Amino acid sequence: MTFDLNLTLSDLLLMLPELWVTLWICVVLCMDFLMPRMSQRAIAGLSVAGLGVALGFLLWYYADGTNGVLFKGMFVLDRLALFFKILVVGASLLVILSSIDYVGRFSFFKSEYYFLVMMAALGMMFMSSANDLLSVFVTVEFSTFGFYVLVAYLRDDLRSSEAGLKFFILGVFAAALLAYGTSLVYGETGTFIFPTIAQGTADMTPGLVVGWLMIFAALGFKIGTVPLHSWIPDTYQGAPTPITAFLSIAPKAAAFAILLRMFFSTLAAFKPQWVWLMIGTAMLSMLYGNIVAIAQRNIKRLLAYSGIAQIGNILIGMAAGTRMGADSVLFYLLTYLFANLGAFAVVIAFSQATNSDEIEDYSGLNRRSPFLAFTMLIFLLSLAGVPPLAGFIGKIYLFVAAIKEGLYALIVVGLISIVISLYYYLVVVKKMYISEPADPTPIKVSGWLQSVIYVGLAGTLILGIWPQWFMTQIVLATDLFAHLGPAPVVTLLP
Amino acid sequence: MTESYLLGVILFAPFVGAAVLATPWVSNRHPLLVRQLAAFFSGISFIGSFILLFAFDWQKGGYQFQEKYVWSEQLGIQFYIGVDGIGVPMVLASSILLFAGVFISWHIKDRIKEFYAFLLILAGATIGVYVSLDLFFLYFFYEMSVIPMYPLLGIWGSHTKGYLETTNAEEWERPDAPRFILNFARNSKEYAAMKLTLFLSAGAIAALLGILLIYKASGLNTFEIPVLAEKAHISGTLATIIWLLCFFGFASIAPLWPLHSWSPVGHAAAPAATSMLHAGVLMKLGHFSIIRTCFQILPDTTHDLMPIAAILCILNILYGGYVAYYSNDTKYVIGYSSSSHMGYVFLGMAALDYISLTGAVLYMFAHALATGMLFAMAGWVYDQTHTRDIPSLGGLVAKMPFVAGCFLVACMASVGMPGTVNFVAEVMIVLGSWSKYPVQTVIAVLGIVLTMAYLFRMMRGVFYGQLSELGHHAHDAEALVDRVPLLIMIFSSVMFGLLPGRMLDVIRSGVNPILARIVEVAPVVTQTGTGLLP
Repeated sequence: MTFDLNLTLSDLLLMLPELWVTLWICVVLCMDFLMPRMSQRAIAGLSVAGLGVALGFLLWYYADGTNGVLFKGMFVLDRLALFFKILVVGASLLVILSSIDYVGRFSFFKSEYYFLVMMAALGMMFMSSANDLLSVFVTVEFSTFGFYVLVAYLRDDLRSSEAGLKFFILGVFAAALLAYGTSLVYGETGTFIFPTIAQGTADMTPGLVVGWLMIFAALGFKIGTVPLHSWIPDTYQGAPTPITAFLSIAPKAAAFAILLRMFFSTLAAFKPQWVWLMIGTAMLSMLYGNIVAIAQRNIKRLLAYSGIAQIGNILIGMAAGTRMGADSVLFYLLTYLFANLGAFAVVIAFSQATNSDEIEDYSGLNRRSPFLAFTMLIFLLSLAGVPPLAGFIGKIYLFVAAIKEGLYALIVVGLISIVISLYYYLVVVKKMYISEPADPTPIKVSGWLQSVIYVGLAGTLILGIWPQWFMTQIVLATDLFAHLGPAPVVTLLP
Repeated sequence: MTESYLLGVILFAPFVGAAVLATPWVSNRHPLLVRQLAAFFSGISFIGSFILLFAFDWQKGGYQFQEKYVWSEQLGIQFYIGVDGIGVPMVLASSILLFAGVFISWHIKDRIKEFYAFLLILAGATIGVYVSLDLFFLYFFYEMSVIPMYPLLGIWGSHTKGYLETTNAEEWERPDAPRFILNFARNSKEYAAMKLTLFLSAGAIAALLGILLIYKASGLNTFEIPVLAEKAHISGTLATIIWLLCFFGFASIAPLWPLHSWSPVGHAAAPAATSMLHAGVLMKLGHFSIIRTCFQILPDTTHDLMPIAAILCILNILYGGYVAYYSNDTKYVIGYSSSSHMGYVFLGMAALDYISLTGAVLYMFAHALATGMLFAMAGWVYDQTHTRDIPSLGGLVAKMPFVAGCFLVACMASVGMPGTVNFVAEVMIVLGSWSKYPVQTVIAVLGIVLTMAYLFRMMRGVFYGQLSELGHHAHDAEALVDRVPLLIMIFSSVMFGLLPGRMLDVIRSGVNPILARIVEVAPVVTQTGTGLLP
């Protein structure tokens, strides 16, 4: 194997957004020690500007349809990768905006915070483009290292340290699984590159089965599906809330980029084997997440368990295994981004004013801040899947994709879990609207957080009321799955 | 494809109103402005739907005032609205009750901006179901109309019977724990709201599964009702499963016995305007959606399975009437009476007869007005006396003669006195069902006697006899805003009762083509177009 790195300038243009973010990360880091007087707001503004430019590049590439392969197929740029990069960079932008006031409370290490967020974002951008097992391993670890630090960022908070430790130990375990699975697959196929594996694999040997299962387990850890979810509640609760918001959407989206490439392209021929994996994890995640969420009294834990259930929903689209399934996964991630980040922004705003994340303290929020209560109502109902909000359309998309493949049992579980989830979301609504506040002082929301909440609100409403444009764009992103014809029908109902 | 924007205006006026109220520029500090805005936007729907009734060409029939836009190519969904003869009266009923409800709620003081926004969304969504010609949007608006009930009941509602006696706050540390919410003995408004929402959502998802199965089984990649009705030939076990899912899913809101238990509790806990809309038009979503899905898309299965409804409807009539007679809470009486009266609609539908189905649709309209009035007046009495307990009321006629008079008219309408539209509808249901289900028809007629018994018992207990202590400070509805809604409903009920011709022609133009696909007999051509109404 020879390596030639004769990169032309036009090749490097494919990586331009990543290179730009890398450069900007250095700028942000240097600014901190070159100009120590610079306020953390200015640094946040600098980061936002840099990510905004990257987002502009990405959107331009998406509209343009730029695509290509770099480094012998390790790095692929197509609309699928671009979609996930847009999602990740967009989420990072919103997370930085919602962090500005939060970070202001730290006594030190203010600017490193933005540096780490951007590092994690960069890792996830590479993850979206990963097209072989080696780059999967490197990029997954790259993005996770930023999070290890960020989760434990509240140095003096015991919970944050606990969250960091838990996340780290289990994360390293997942990394080990990923490495071992990669080595097994390499041993069986002799290559790392996804397309080459797809061509070379005729049948599933035991080694391959174990190898792919381990890789799925490692990625399942990233997305937090049952039975690999155990880190999620404690980590979510302990981490700084903006990081929880980040953790709840960006790494999951990036992991879905890899899962889609892995299962829909590389292992497309083995769908009858892996579809059971998807069905099983989807059912378990939806039922477990929703049922356990009922008992939660902390809003961050509630959103953590509801997040587990949401991932179960997305896995319905994976189980469908068709191009429409892929479309529905992408669309649902988009709806989830707006609703979930919006909900977390409300949680941040609330905890800044009251220093509490207990659902009990949300009593009478409608009287204290009608804006926060109303937007939280919208976000929670969107997560529950109530029309005319984005989450409803997302769920219908998933269900339609699944019913075309005859996955009846999965849809029944999905539908039942909607009703269960309505219960615990409505309990929060009840607190906010029906109960009377213990402390009626009005809550002020800063402009930064308001902007994040407004973005979430706009996304949730627009995607729900007029999704056609977004759906058309998403279909462009899944062009590479055009080969997925009508897949074998899995009938669970006589 | 757009024939006319009338239907779009009727449908979207409440939503636009809700959006305007939700903006920060409208504040709770200007209550009159909020009320006027709500009245304005509901007034647009109100006037629009009267125009709709008279602009609808019943001789042409079919779906009219269609508007159609592609909503999602990937899923095969179109935003497709239009009305046939069944939709027109229901749109009219919804907008009458919404307009009246805005005035009925005129005296609410707590967070009125939110109240009117939720009320407008609720009513707009019910109109949406009645005009949807796409199964997806049928479900979309259906579920959308259920959710606003939760805050409406929870915030502005009231605890129901026995709540205050049994509640021991210290014993229940967490009033949101599942065991509290699911405790049937404790009728808090939170319990009623949660029960209603979960019950109806559970029914809705059963129906959604049915809709998805129709989508899959038809293989047409569309949710469009006219196309599915024409081209989807679903038969065998799958058709039975779909039919049962859709029927019982939608019947839970209707409410068909034994799926009715959410309904009286929900009615009783709700504020007056919400009860009106809820009993008046929300419950009819069930019947209407059953006609749209089961009758139109699965005609053969409907023919085979509709006897199920013929059996259950009798339990509806008798059980509802029986409980209503022994209830001491005014709203419970009206709630159970609604649930009982919905049995008549099911009987009319089950007979699969041209006359009885026309009667059933007319009954849906008639019942909306009659129950709307009853709930409005029960709400007025509650506001004035702060109790709904019949034994502790009495003699209110001396204090509120106008309300008592209206209440009497409403009772008469509910019983089906000639001169009200309920009479026309009941007669048609009974005549049409007689040949097929004589036993049920006899029981249904006896049910009317039962209705008289419990309504007059309530009338006597609340308005006649010794004036109770609670009634000493009660006032009559004297202001114009308080009288207008009652007069609108009475006027509509009597007007369509005396001159039902146009309404019947409109309904028949919708019913005939649907039923012609289920039964072999051709519709009997009758002329009721008397020309008395244009």
